[in-house]
Amino acid sequence: MWPPRVRKVKLTVSHSVPADRQRVFDALGDPAILRRCIPGCESLTATAPDAYEATLKIGVPGIKGVYAGIAAISDKHPPESLTLSFEGKGGPGFVRGSAAIVLSPGEAATRVGCEADVQVGGLIAAVGSRLIEATARKLAGDFFNQLSKEMSATT
Amino acid sequence: MSDATPYIGRAMKRVEDPRLIQGLGTYTDDLRLAGLLHACILRSPHAHARIRRIETSAAKAIPGVVAVFTGADVNDSCGAVPCAAAIPDLKAPRHTVLAGDRVYFVGHAVAVAVATDPYIACDAIDEIEVDYDPLPAVVNAMEALKSGSALTHPDMGANVAFTHVVNGGSDIDAAFRNADRIIKHRLYHQRLTPMPIEPRAVVASYHRGEGTLTLWTSTQIPHLLRTLLPNMLGIPETKLRIVAPEVGGGFGAKLNVYAEEALCAHLAMRLSAPVKWVESRRENAASTIHGRDQIGDYEVAVKNDGRILGLKATSVADLGAYLQLLTPAVPTLTGLVLTGCYKIPAIRFEVVGVYTNKMATDAYRGAGRPEATYLIERLMDVVANELKIDRLDLRLKHFPAPGDFPFATSCGVTYDSGNYQGTLAKAKQLADWDALMADRKAARAAGKLFGVGVSTYVEICAMGPSKAMPAGGWEWGCVRMEISAKVTVITGVTPHGQGQETSFAQIVADRLGVPIEDVAVLKGDTNVAHYGRDTYGSRGTAVGGTAIVMSVDKVIKKAKTLAAHLFETLDDYVVFENGKFKAPGITAREIAWSELAAEAYLAKNLPAGFEPGLEASSFFEPENFTFPFGTHICAVEVDRDTGEVAITKYVAVDDCGNQINPLLVEGQVQGGIAHAIGQALFEQTIYDENGQLLTGEFMDYAIPRATDIPEYTLGSTVTPSPVNPLGVKGVGEAGTIGATPAIANAVIDALTPLGVVHLDLPMTPERIWRAMQTRTVATV
Repeated sequence: MWPPRVRKVKLTVSHSVPADRQRVFDALGDPAILRRCIPGCESLTATAPDAYEATLKIGVPGIKGVYAGIAAISDKHPPESLTLSFEGKGGPGFVRGSAAIVLSPGEAATRVGCEADVQVGGLIAAVGSRLIEATARKLAGDFFNQLSKEMSATT
Repeated sequence: MSDATPYIGRAMKRVEDPRLIQGLGTYTDDLRLAGLLHACILRSPHAHARIRRIETSAAKAIPGVVAVFTGADVNDSCGAVPCAAAIPDLKAPRHTVLAGDRVYFVGHAVAVAVATDPYIACDAIDEIEVDYDPLPAVVNAMEALKSGSALTHPDMGANVAFTHVVNGGSDIDAAFRNADRIIKHRLYHQRLTPMPIEPRAVVASYHRGEGTLTLWTSTQIPHLLRTLLPNMLGIPETKLRIVAPEVGGGFGAKLNVYAEEALCAHLAMRLSAPVKWVESRRENAASTIHGRDQIGDYEVAVKNDGRILGLKATSVADLGAYLQLLTPAVPTLTGLVLTGCYKIPAIRFEVVGVYTNKMATDAYRGAGRPEATYLIERLMDVVANELKIDRLDLRLKHFPAPGDFPFATSCGVTYDSGNYQGTLAKAKQLADWDALMADRKAARAAGKLFGVGVSTYVEICAMGPSKAMPAGGWEWGCVRMEISAKVTVITGVTPHGQGQETSFAQIVADRLGVPIEDVAVLKGDTNVAHYGRDTYGSRGTAVGGTAIVMSVDKVIKKAKTLAAHLFETLDDYVVFENGKFKAPGITAREIAWSELAAEAYLAKNLPAGFEPGLEASSFFEPENFTFPFGTHICAVEVDRDTGEVAITKYVAVDDCGNQINPLLVEGQVQGGIAHAIGQALFEQTIYDENGQLLTGEFMDYAIPRATDIPEYTLGSTVTPSPVNPLGVKGVGEAGTIGATPAIANAVIDALTPLGVVHLDLPMTPERIWRAMQTRTVATV
């Protein structure tokens, strides 16, 4: 523990979405779908191709607040993979990081694997670091559940 | 009353307690003033960043928001936060009340919103937009010393604030040349967060008509604030009143001049309205001073028979980003008691103070002496272990004899009085040492991890002689026999939980021969206690109590003159006994205080040239510090599966000289040991590699809970101090200083069968468990 431990938040999640890879890939870059699927998303607009500006309201105690952020998609290899980098800040502090997203074909569904490195600052680090992983998993789960509904509804 | 046993020495309950227990105390946050505004402070989420831009218009637009200010608005008109430590060649950054164009630590105050309601003020800071350009943060003090390291304050060109070197006693190089062995050890003193129950709180009120500013603040040092704030606020000290109401814990964390105090005062003057700021727990963790944070490499020169010839200490003190009031002075205090209670003829002490992008460190319970005691007491065990000498014998061999006092140490101080053999013997007896050793043997035979730790400590109290104290070390006190024969005592020491409202009343009631109920002790308001140097360094009773004793003696002397006049005799024939004035052989008449006080104030019949009234005040300047000492013995059992430590026995024998109130002494020792249990087993303030504070609340910063506190067996010996007429030494920090190494030594002793020779603090279950996993093969 000396020098102090570093708590880098590394997050690996994987979800199954009932649609083919190309549709899922396209959905991940569609501002209208993202706005509906991102939990607590109050606004999301494309500022340039593959660049977004968003406002999120997060209600998790300890890191509760409105976060304003930007996100960008790079390393696009449709329909297999993309990289999402993001940076957001709000009253409780800031979050920034990047996520490597890989889409692999499954039976009547696409498996979306996501490996994220997240760095947090301010109160989020001071009081929320223990909550970040659980919170991020919860938010990711909510996102993919909503995305699955979107995909099923429009099939 | 007159024939009753004296109050001094009685274990009396505190007069403070009923109001505190019933919730009738008035804390700063309890103050309600007409038109009160509330401040909330926006703090940096970055350890180091350039501020490109701050946008406050959205915050200002919120209904109820009165003002939003940034550093650009206030730093020119509100002066810099002072550091009082006198360290030669100290390099210090300018410490503005709000950040300028850079932030230097997480929690650095960036902007303040003032509103009609505290919740509106909090909402307002969420609407302040700050555009930060993050910069590399300096987090590790050792790395900060390497060439090419990032810089905490790039404009200063280096991370080193100061280098302080002490060479004491005989020739250190000769000592190391003559040694049979040189034992080297590295020790860490982790960063700690003081965590008083009441975070900081400030209310500032400016009277435009009078031009006076009143500042209520949860502080240990209203008088030092009155001395130091005028420079920041541009207001003379005569127009400044500082009040410390009830203070819910200080432990050194409130021995400071904080930016928020000056800021609120400035806002009150600027806005012509009273302003309140109450710190949240999370702000407290990030923006109130931290303690300790030293890394040291220690070398002991020993002969094979155990004689210690010399001690070299090279340590690095992590100061954080700014110098608070005593930041650089605290690590230098370690050098004053480096040798502990041992005769070690030669020392070399070098400490380098380093800036990092963290909150400032400063005085926290013990301030510098816990570091010294932990290192010397761990080293004594390490040396005993390496030389296969009994650890108690090694200690006894190096104790000065009781007849050696006053004892001049190689660190350059003179211990006032002591009997170290006495506390060790008594602690052994209370702990039933031989039985304890038998228990250990039996437990080990049964495969249990059972250990016994000892620490014999000495510390520095009664701070202190003014020549050694940056702001003067004297104390002021006043005693007034009122016309009603009640007694008002006013002290400059600002007790805030130490219990001097009780113990000073005991002293005064005894000396004046009045019931203790008739004595009221006033403190903590600079308009009432006009002068003082406040409470820190266990100085209240030894220094402040002496100023009271001097004042009582002056009142009695004056009263004798008046009594002599009433007896129609000379002063020399008047005797004062049990609260009554008599002139044996001259008259059978006795004069009680009630009569004498009435005469003194009604002033119809006074001797020629006699000033009316019965009041005296005094400044006491101590000639030396005092050096309390003691022996702590701790037994622990470590859980083989979880690494958890259970303290099965705790014995503390402390000698703080004469005891005014043994119950208060016990309370201080108990609380002190609790702090030490925290440091030894649980607490560590952690910043990650980016300078993010990870221990921002009690879920992540583990202070001991009630169930972690063992049953204590407390004892004492009494070796009066010759430094003050009360013969007292001070006991506020003793428990913390003595206990941390005793617990650490006990845990190491418990792990000895596994071949563990050292673990760093805090000895958390995780750390112990990991040590056990890597040493499954027992070597002992």
